[in-house]
Amino acid sequence: MSSTASSTTSGSRAAAEERDSSVWLRLMLIAFLANGIGPFGLKVLTERGFGDAFQAQYLLYWYCGGLVFAVAALLKSGLKPTAREIGLGALMGACSLFGQAFTGLALSHGVPGHVAFPLTTGGSLFLVAAAGLLLFKERVGPYGIAGIVLGIVALVALSVA
Amino acid sequence: MTAGQIYMLLGLLSFSLLGVLHKVADVKRSRPSAITALLYVWSLVLVLGFVLLRTESGAAAPAAVVTVALPFGVCAAVAILAFQAGVKHGNIATSWLAINLSSGIPTVASILVYNEQLTLVKAIALSLIPVSMFLLWKDKKEAEHGARS
Repeated sequence: MSSTASSTTSGSRAAAEERDSSVWLRLMLIAFLANGIGPFGLKVLTERGFGDAFQAQYLLYWYCGGLVFAVAALLKSGLKPTAREIGLGALMGACSLFGQAFTGLALSHGVPGHVAFPLTTGGSLFLVAAAGLLLFKERVGPYGIAGIVLGIVALVALSVA
Repeated sequence: MTAGQIYMLLGLLSFSLLGVLHKVADVKRSRPSAITALLYVWSLVLVLGFVLLRTESGAAAPAAVVTVALPFGVCAAVAILAFQAGVKHGNIATSWLAINLSSGIPTVASILVYNEQLTLVKAIALSLIPVSMFLLWKDKKEAEHGARS
């Protein structure tokens, strides 16, 4: 009994040590900044007059730049990808591309931007949060819920503005 | 339901599935560097196929397009790598929001670089972003404190 309690305590401590809030904040701030800068290239391209004519080619070289960095990071880790990682990577790549393609198609089929962007952004935030809570049994406290609600409001307002 | 609405729904589901797969990758102990590299390999394969099959000019593009695309593409890869590494230290519910809040950065950059107008709605939305990030971090801090005590 005591050994079970002890191993549970050490297990939750290990989990708490692994799930470090300061590391999470640092990594999320990097992701936040880099992810925000990433799409700004399209704005730069549009301002230079290449926006419409070379959008697909821009995306091609945009992914090339990302791939060079990602492969360098993988080589630095010195590890070979597993079959599961290859499958997950394929699914995630397809989701990323299809998400952008379908949103583009919705816009070109007459759905206004002030409807498409808040719905895809706010909706995906809601669905992923729901999946986290229901499928992965994550616990989010009152601060987290307030943060999620405020964040969705901010992103929907930004899409509409 | 119109074709446009169906496409919008499919876009919403694709982005949501992407978020869920980030969590699945973490649960299955996939390595962030491998996931990021493979996500880019497959995305590039799909885009290359589209560009070669569906566009007139193929992969050819002016140097200005390439020089803008490459560094901004690197930034996006840095984001995915940091995000995937960060998910193991937090919940997908809050982490997904944190990375999506970055939509505010292009808005701020457009205001600063291209003198776009800062409307009241934009100003309120932008000011909510750091508050939301603080609350998410505070929630993590509380959860960590609870687990340790």
